[in-house]
Amino acid sequence: MMYYLKLGAILFLICAIAAGVLAYVNGITAPRIKLLQEQKETSSRAELIPDAEFELTRGTVDSSFVYYRALDNQTKALKGYTLIAEQSGYSSVIKTMVGVDPLFNIIAIRVIDQKETPGLGANCTAASFAQMFQGRSLNSLVLDKDGGEISSMAGATITTRAINSSIRIALSKLKAEIQAEEGGGQ
Amino acid sequence: MKYIGELTKGIIKDNPIFVLVLGICPTLAVSTSVDNAIGMGFAATFVLVCSNIIISLIKGFTPPKVRIPVYIVVIASFVSIVDMAMAAYIPDLHKNLGLFIPLIVVNCIILGRAEAFASKNNLLNSLADGIGMGLGFTLALVIIATIRETMGAGTWFGIPIIPASYKFQPVLVAILAPGAFITLGFLMALVNLIKERK
Repeated sequence: MMYYLKLGAILFLICAIAAGVLAYVNGITAPRIKLLQEQKETSSRAELIPDAEFELTRGTVDSSFVYYRALDNQTKALKGYTLIAEQSGYSSVIKTMVGVDPLFNIIAIRVIDQKETPGLGANCTAASFAQMFQGRSLNSLVLDKDGGEISSMAGATITTRAINSSIRIALSKLKAEIQAEEGGGQ
Repeated sequence: MKYIGELTKGIIKDNPIFVLVLGICPTLAVSTSVDNAIGMGFAATFVLVCSNIIISLIKGFTPPKVRIPVYIVVIASFVSIVDMAMAAYIPDLHKNLGLFIPLIVVNCIILGRAEAFASKNNLLNSLADGIGMGLGFTLALVIIATIRETMGAGTWFGIPIIPASYKFQPVLVAILAPGAFITLGFLMALVNLIKERK
């Protein structure tokens, strides 16, 4: 009996030391990781819609939906919106930042987080991939395999499809939010 | 003299991948490109060396009946530390390796060396064993990745090695999972052949 209590006590002691060390390391690194993440999102936003100020906005229909209004630095006129689209791809959740103009045509996109297959799906971070989406509206976000114009990456149709459909869903949500807001304001 | 033997055995004679056939899962997953292979190799080496040191130090204190949970707690703690430290201080490398870091926990090279070596040997030998096995793992990964990356993407370390004018069509299968098995199979056959000749 004593022997088994001793086993448990030793295991507990080792786990407690490990937990203490991990809590300490986490305490040091967590603020830095969060800061880096925020910096990355801020700089992505600035790249998608340059010379603009961003204003965090919450959806009125769905309050968990968050997007940013881009206002021109000088005139304060609405330049567009940025939002994050996310969906599971082949081996990870792919997060894409999308910048659209006030008429919901895509200005630019940028994949900000993905862990797809290196050499195949991971090519979605390439500039040539992002370029395919420029200037598209909700209706022209269709893959070549479904009769559209967005060509899927070699060996990574699932990734391409996931990004495309995540953008479609995010854009339709944004459109619904903006329309609801304008409708309510009149 | 003995330390040198413990250090070098992991590189060829007891290479963890080609000879001991340990840690095959992360090997198949990260050997698609040379820079991933090197990053994974060094991250795993760091965890292996640290866990070998700690496990060797606490070997007198660890009851044999609960040794496996103790090893796993030690290994998983170091992996989490590496993961958090990398994310905070070298975010670029973490972006590429983020998916593979948690895989180190289940890398049986580390648990295997803890069980087979560090729990029975003194600190310096365990340290030498950890470094040697880690380098052997890194070397094997780089060899496999070199073959797969050059064949499957036409690059080495991200640098194109075949002129674009050559109209080279990469052998896509080399980068996909079957390519990893095929490459590993040929390399193991080669290592066995060399060992038999000796």
